[in-house]
Amino acid sequence: MLITIKLFATFRQDRFRVAERDVAEGTTVADVLRALDIDEPEVGMLFVRGRHVETDRVLVEGDALAIFPLVGGG
Amino acid sequence: MFSREETERYARHIVLRDVGGPGQQKLKAARVLVVGAGGLGSPALLYLAAAGIGTLGIVDDDVVSLSNLQRQVIHATADVGRPKVESAAAAIRGLNPHVEVRSHPVRLDEGNVGGIVEGWDVVVDGVDNFPTRFLLADACAARKVPLVTAGVQEFWGWLTVLKPWETGPDGMPNPGLHDLLRVPEEGRVATCAQVGILGVVPGVLGTLAATEVLKLILGLGEPLVRRMLNVDLLDMDFAVEPTEVEAIAGVPG
Repeated sequence: MLITIKLFATFRQDRFRVAERDVAEGTTVADVLRALDIDEPEVGMLFVRGRHVETDRVLVEGDALAIFPLVGGG
Repeated sequence: MFSREETERYARHIVLRDVGGPGQQKLKAARVLVVGAGGLGSPALLYLAAAGIGTLGIVDDDVVSLSNLQRQVIHATADVGRPKVESAAAAIRGLNPHVEVRSHPVRLDEGNVGGIVEGWDVVVDGVDNFPTRFLLADACAARKVPLVTAGVQEFWGWLTVLKPWETGPDGMPNPGLHDLLRVPEEGRVATCAQVGILGVVPGVLGTLAATEVLKLILGLGEPLVRRMLNVDLLDMDFAVEPTEVEAIAGVPG
């Protein structure tokens, strides 16, 4: 199934900004992070369909997953 | 009524379509609290003061240090060692003596946050850490005070407006901060002191935060409620992501 992955800030470095990926049924957000070599504790925001999700969220066909690092300075 | 001096001072607002004299009166009547007089708070406070917000509150328990001055533009070299609330209040008075400043030289904690955010029309989150950010967001949500919240680091930033007690056109509640951000593990968050920040980054995000405050008070345009702005100043990419639930059959929210 096809999903769209959008990366932000540091996560774009040596990766991509937006990419479509063909992933297996049952793929979770954690699986995607692992495949992209993104360390879970580095993640600040995970959005699927515009809402924060946890890493155990199972993705479905057509999902757009946006991944942001922790950016919390002021 | 505005004095002759105020009428001249705010002339570019008063002639501006959708602001005008009535809009300027709304700004004068408004009470805005800025938590953190640092990188984000500096431009937010300066622009809100210049715009003629009637009462500005400032919360910060820190003193100005030399390494702040690369981005915290409300403070000057002569202010090093001075409490930030004092330095910021002096800069505001110098810019616009019509603004009443309320200073809170304290660190927000569970005991004081409720009393501090009570009674403001809008609160701006310019804090530099996640625990305080969540504390502030919870207190504002409980008291139904709109919160303009932002974060910055290195070359990046984000900004959104939280009104979680309201529902959207789809009947779903607006997101709160817990719906948008993961609560980071203790000690896993790099600070600006560790990884650095390009000085203009909080300038951009803090100025955008002030813009959202003015829009909320004036009832203008579309504030970033149920939307989050993500800014990448290396790519010069400004992306607005929806932060609402898309109701799709069979897909859990």
